[in-house]
Amino acid sequence: MSHSTVVTSAPKENVWIGGRSPYNVSYGKMMMWFFLLSDALTFGALLISYGTTRFFSAVWPDPNEVFKAFPFMGHASLPLLFVSLMTFILIMSSVTMVLAVHAGHYGDKKKVAYWLLWTIIGGICFLACQAWEWTHLHGELGGLWGTFTDPATPVSKFEHFFNHHNAGAILDQQPLVAMQSTHNFFNYFFTITGFHGGHVTSGVVFNILILVNTVNGVYERRGHYEMVEKIGLYWHFVDLVWVFVFTCFYLL
Amino acid sequence: MSAHHGSDSIQHLYEGDQSKLYSGVMAHHTDIESKESKDQIKKIWKVFWVLLAITVAEVVVGMFFSHSIPKGLVNFFFLALTILKAGYIVAIFMHLGDEFKGFIVTVLVPLFLFVWFIIAFLADGFFWLRMNNESPARGDKIEVVAPHAKK
Repeated sequence: MSHSTVVTSAPKENVWIGGRSPYNVSYGKMMMWFFLLSDALTFGALLISYGTTRFFSAVWPDPNEVFKAFPFMGHASLPLLFVSLMTFILIMSSVTMVLAVHAGHYGDKKKVAYWLLWTIIGGICFLACQAWEWTHLHGELGGLWGTFTDPATPVSKFEHFFNHHNAGAILDQQPLVAMQSTHNFFNYFFTITGFHGGHVTSGVVFNILILVNTVNGVYERRGHYEMVEKIGLYWHFVDLVWVFVFTCFYLL
Repeated sequence: MSAHHGSDSIQHLYEGDQSKLYSGVMAHHTDIESKESKDQIKKIWKVFWVLLAITVAEVVVGMFFSHSIPKGLVNFFFLALTILKAGYIVAIFMHLGDEFKGFIVTVLVPLFLFVWFIIAFLADGFFWLRMNNESPARGDKIEVVAPHAKK
């Protein structure tokens, strides 16, 4: 009893008096975390304002009706399939990124470069998918932002975005309400997936930069691959945001 | 501070070689073929399969069951799985689970703002819908003025 008291009452070393990093994390890595925190709040603000708009709308387009196209499949109705492919690509590229970070922990230059290359390929595939989806919607809507603003638009232009079981009555009696929802839905969709796509684009650029540095031996000379780890944090965050975008736009 | 440590070493630590602060989970290991390394890689792939399985489950429910199961239950299912996925990505892929507890708390606590944020704004949206539907000033029907309809 008294023995254990002696052990636990030993003076605890104060890590906050300076001279060392209390969290054992470098300045750059900690700031990357705080940047991601602020970025999470930005994405949160966008997604929550989307949610608010959706909550005050009497009807809302059904994702199963809006997103059902797949490249080269014509008019076949394949809801959620294409976005599942995009999600798969992004998760996959997250795995290759974490493998690059892992190789960095062991100072294995070749493997870092190898996995970074796959991550870049995954990022580009994702962006290509998004480009296809936007092009497809552009063709269908006749624009990206600011469509469905003309009150004279016939209901046939947007009724196929809705689930008639839920929205039939409003579509018949107050088509303008449904048109306004369609307008809001697509504005939010392009803003949020566009903002996310911008993050993916800059992530790909960062990945290319660190790949070049890795191949040139910059990190080998520096003695550590922390930059790969920091960019990895950013890349995983982009994947994380997509998890929420996927849920909010395609599932709920 | 300088009473306890030479200011040179502090300067060196923060502005010089950051590798002294580099906490990478396995920063000091060298053999990528070691058992420890292979276990770590195995764990990464395991998380990948978990994330994939969760996504497939979400898509299957979204495709086939979203209209036959009560909407509230389906949404709860989606949100719970989304949080689970986010947890795996942050804890394993971003290695937050391997950091010091104090740092984990520092990063996660500000996110609790979202609890208020979500409740307040969704409630506001719901309130506006009810106002539009029930307020005597607006009549008993929803009136929506399209942006270009105003003259």
